[in-house]
Amino acid sequence: MTEKVKVRIDGQVIAATPGQTILQAARDNDKYIPALCYMEGLSAVGACRLCMVEVSGVARLLPACTTPVQEGLAVNTSSPQLQSYRKIALELLFAERNHVCAVCVSSGHCELQTLAQEHGVTYVRYPYNFPKLEVDTTHPKFVLDHNRCILCSRCVRTCAEIEGAHVWDVAGRGIQSRLVSELKRPWGEATSCTSCGKCVQACPTGAMAEKGFGVEEMTKKPAVVGRLTSMRGGR
Amino acid sequence: MMIKDFAAFSAVREAGLAKLLPGRPRIAVGMGTCGSGNGAEAVFHAFSSEIDARGLAVQLVPVGCFGFCAEEPLVNVWVPGHPLLILHRVQPNHVDEILNGLGHDQLPPAEILLCKIEEWDHLTGHVKYGTGYADVPRWNEVPFFEGQSKIVLRNCGLINPDDIEEYIAIGGYQALYKVLIDQNPTAVIEQVKAAKLRGRGGAGFLTGSKWEFLAKAPGPEKYLICNADEGDPGAYMNRNEIESDPHSLLEGMMIAGYVTGASKGIIYVRAEYPLAILRLERAIAQARAYGVLGENVLGRGFDFDIEMVEGAGAFVCGEETALIASLENMSGRPRPRPPFPAQKGLYGKPTNINNVETWYNIAPIVSKGPAWFTETGSAKSAGTKVFSLVGKIKNSGLVEMPLGTPLARFIYDIGGGGSGGRDIKAVQTGGPSGGCIPADMFDTPVDYETLQQLGSIMGSGGMVVMDEDNCMVDVARYFIEFTHSESCGKCIPCRVGLDKSLQILNNCTLGTATHADLETLDELCRMVRDTSLCALGTSAPNPVLTSMRHFRHEFEDHIVAKRCRAGVCEDLALSPCENSCPLHMNIPRFLELYKEGRVEDAFLSVILDNPLPASTGRVCQHPCDNRCRRAAIDEPVNMRDVHRRIADEVFLSDKFEGMVARVLKQKFEPTGHQIAVVGAGPTGLTCAYYLALLGHDVTIYDSRPAAGGMLRYALPEYRLPKAVLDKEIELIERLGVKFQFNVNVGEDLTLNDVAHQYDAVFLAIGTWKEAWVYLPGTELTGVIPALPFLEAVSRDDKVPVGKNVVVIGGGNAAVDSARTARRLGADVTIVYRRERKDMPAIPEEIEAAEHEGVKFAYLAAPHRIVGDKDGRVCAIEAVRTKLGEFDTSGRRRPVPTDEVIRMKCDSVILAVGEKVDPDFCAASGLTVKENGTLEVERYSLETSRDRFYAGGDLITGASNVSNAMGIGKKAARNIHKRLMDLEHFPNLLPAFTYEMKPPETPSEFSRHVPGEVPAAQRVQSYAEVSLGLTAAAALEETFRCLRCDVRSVER
Repeated sequence: MTEKVKVRIDGQVIAATPGQTILQAARDNDKYIPALCYMEGLSAVGACRLCMVEVSGVARLLPACTTPVQEGLAVNTSSPQLQSYRKIALELLFAERNHVCAVCVSSGHCELQTLAQEHGVTYVRYPYNFPKLEVDTTHPKFVLDHNRCILCSRCVRTCAEIEGAHVWDVAGRGIQSRLVSELKRPWGEATSCTSCGKCVQACPTGAMAEKGFGVEEMTKKPAVVGRLTSMRGGR
Repeated sequence: MMIKDFAAFSAVREAGLAKLLPGRPRIAVGMGTCGSGNGAEAVFHAFSSEIDARGLAVQLVPVGCFGFCAEEPLVNVWVPGHPLLILHRVQPNHVDEILNGLGHDQLPPAEILLCKIEEWDHLTGHVKYGTGYADVPRWNEVPFFEGQSKIVLRNCGLINPDDIEEYIAIGGYQALYKVLIDQNPTAVIEQVKAAKLRGRGGAGFLTGSKWEFLAKAPGPEKYLICNADEGDPGAYMNRNEIESDPHSLLEGMMIAGYVTGASKGIIYVRAEYPLAILRLERAIAQARAYGVLGENVLGRGFDFDIEMVEGAGAFVCGEETALIASLENMSGRPRPRPPFPAQKGLYGKPTNINNVETWYNIAPIVSKGPAWFTETGSAKSAGTKVFSLVGKIKNSGLVEMPLGTPLARFIYDIGGGGSGGRDIKAVQTGGPSGGCIPADMFDTPVDYETLQQLGSIMGSGGMVVMDEDNCMVDVARYFIEFTHSESCGKCIPCRVGLDKSLQILNNCTLGTATHADLETLDELCRMVRDTSLCALGTSAPNPVLTSMRHFRHEFEDHIVAKRCRAGVCEDLALSPCENSCPLHMNIPRFLELYKEGRVEDAFLSVILDNPLPASTGRVCQHPCDNRCRRAAIDEPVNMRDVHRRIADEVFLSDKFEGMVARVLKQKFEPTGHQIAVVGAGPTGLTCAYYLALLGHDVTIYDSRPAAGGMLRYALPEYRLPKAVLDKEIELIERLGVKFQFNVNVGEDLTLNDVAHQYDAVFLAIGTWKEAWVYLPGTELTGVIPALPFLEAVSRDDKVPVGKNVVVIGGGNAAVDSARTARRLGADVTIVYRRERKDMPAIPEEIEAAEHEGVKFAYLAAPHRIVGDKDGRVCAIEAVRTKLGEFDTSGRRRPVPTDEVIRMKCDSVILAVGEKVDPDFCAASGLTVKENGTLEVERYSLETSRDRFYAGGDLITGASNVSNAMGIGKKAARNIHKRLMDLEHFPNLLPAFTYEMKPPETPSEFSRHVPGEVPAAQRVQSYAEVSLGLTAAAALEETFRCLRCDVRSVER
């Protein structure tokens, strides 16, 4: 048993394992820090920036998902500024693509929707992009709706790190970034896809869903990914 | 030849020296990308074929670039025993003459001779070229090079980059040899740490510390990376360094390789730099062939190899983690740190990344020691930095200056000020990650910390100079567009935040944004800055945040007034000329109407844009000339004189009555509102004219007996005949404007009275109080302020002016006074403390004064007026000034010397400016600003008192006629909007249809300039000097217009 380090999160002292990130330590101790791209069992990429926290003595904001804990670290997870930045980030996601909860299979079970409710996102201050995006229905069991994709890359990492198939990747750059399967081949024609469906379970929104579900019907089991990793001893 | 021992090394060195300083003349052509782009290839080939043809014993080599990009192609010519000569702007046709001169000790032609180098300190070695050529300036006496300290660029432009022997000849690879012999890596790292060398890629991390991390990292496999993925718009120092001196880079990396225990070096070069890649490839191959790279380096048992990798073209690959991903054949997206590359870098191994320029500092630090290095630069930022000085600057090029040098030195001393003599507005440092620093902060020292405090960064060293033609909103938009399209898309703030910022900025340039949008933008930019994953995102908002901080007014101009002063945002302007006109006259329209022979329509178009077209046609400062795009072909269209012609054709003919009727037809139904205008100068007249047209009942009060203000009482008859002005005023009167002369508002009639009687009041009393200079002797008889002098002459009063007149000042009032005094038969001298080009007066007027025999004493600051025993002026003494440092206006500040000039005279006219009468302001109960002008809301022109508006010189300080009229027009628009709650201005104009087609080819006519009465004749009378354009000339002039107002043409 390794020595624990003491970390103060929002004033409360918790014991964390060395090598853990702030986010892991917080979650182990039932401290909530919002995050979209982080998922237990996957490598952290620090892409959604929702888990940004204030660390005393550091001028910059730091992502909780990739910053390791240190003895004596004091973290503030929900200052007014952090709350305001998180709200902006959520609004930006809504403005980026076409998130229409009323017609979404994942409505009611969507992490983006939940976070928006938690942060009081009642309207979006930025002009909507309304991009014209495809819905890939070529796979016999699953569907990919780019309108709802937030590019968190959880599916990419699940497929590459857990299933070992690496069907998914992100192509393009900037606002033109798109999730692609096998060098832009339709999902249904992707030969490396094992149709295991773990990507669908990992997806935080309704971008990936099983076929045959109606509005609000698609619930997901993201914990499956973390369980698989822990069963393999974290490898 | 493999170098295995010191004897071999010395032999190579001797061979190199024999090439560098051969026993015959050596000609070296600067063939970096910059030189080649300016024709250096052709020059090289011309030399080559001519030397062959003549069979001359001349050595011809290509070299890199010496840094003076504006003067390319540069050529070095060296004759044994003489200094090295640097020639500039060399063309193939100069080759003959240069070669002819070689054998005969003759200097090349003066127009291409830039400077000489007698000896050169390569830092690792010293080269003595020779002495002589006393008349040729030394290299560091040329303003562009003065104060430059070449450490990084020590070899650039002097040695052949394709020849390792020349590099070894000037001491190259000696530092490496020394390090390998000493076998004390820790000492070298300590040296680099003690030198306080900081990363030149922009972040400024201590290089020595980074090396230490790597040296201490475990494992046999470690990597060194040189980041040569230079992608900032406007920055090209790394390209030039590699092209001119690739071996210094290799040496720096090899030293680091030895002391940190790295196994391999990788140079990641931008694929867009083909020449740099080629020269680097050759350098690596030569270094391997000579045994300085690869196995058993210099026979000292050290193995190190360097590989070159071409970048994939993404800007974000300059970020170290993205660069590593790119090297690993993955897509170039950054990943979060920690782990830092020093722990887990390329292929998961410890890695150190340094910018190109950082590596160039290593060999000199090792050779000369850290103490020598810290002598240069500021306390926290040691050494030098190379900047690429580009944009709207006269001398563009690569400049290597000690860190901590003030910006003003770069811009004004080295850069020589704005190109085309324009005023510089700002400098953008650090490319898309940096920010804009306004001209009034040019005393800022350039180092890492100070620039960061201003919201900018040093970055890789780009310095883009912006002048009044650059719109700061557009600049911010441009950089966000760049970073937006270069964002990798991984993190939300950068991917979507920049996209939204761009949309808001686009709306600003279209004039559709609101104040709320600016706040949203500000908040969004802060969020992107504080939460993005990598440096691209965290620094991308800098251009917006600094522009909004330092140039807030430009953003407000775009969203409130829908104006882009620079004329860049095309959707906010009809054409560049219209945009520059203070009255926003539709210039292309009246030119086209006149061209179509529709003089009356043209007049209506002109008079509805500008109520005093004949006066402004004579005396306007014509800012339109500076913006006209025709200037790119030959000269600007003479718009001012065409509208003068149009006005004269109506005002001075029988068309007048008919046109008065047509203008009256445009008048709106009476509104029942009573408005008072105080001051019948150009501002008041303009405001009253438009308010009358809009249907209001307007009364103008003036303390003088006639209308016109400065136009009547300050502008001499020879510039503006009063008969013309009378006609213009008659038109305004016939529109229904009532005049109350000889009424002094504030004394005869209080402002409270006016407020009771009228629905709105417009104050435009101008600046009639002369700003007095504190000069001993101003109390003497014979000292007259300019305005009373000009007013007296205009009233035909007796003027007490003597035979010898000295005018003090450099503005239009000074020149007018001087020319008027000439007409009174006096001998006149204008005394001005700066140079002719600094005079604020209209250049044509200065020229006319010179023709009329007015003498000028420049660089002379009056110091006292000498009186005789009767208290009359008998002489004036002035101190000779010399030009000192540049001030924030970009002009050199005159500094007094010991020399005193004495001029005999019997009258002195003081024309040192005018100001607002403080008594009026104090009595009016209105808020007065510190500078003595009235405070008004910037866009509505409303004063601190309800329903009171103010304009003209009263709010701007002494300005010129058209600016004042523009404000009068704006005031009328705002007063009407306030009273009627409606915008009627656009309805004033009848719908003209006219040809909307640009000329197929630009017309061949050159600019027409009106004829003038000969100087000898005109000093005899007050008759108008300018004869105006003839009808034919005016017509031809209209054909010259390129019709920038036409946006789309049907084909």
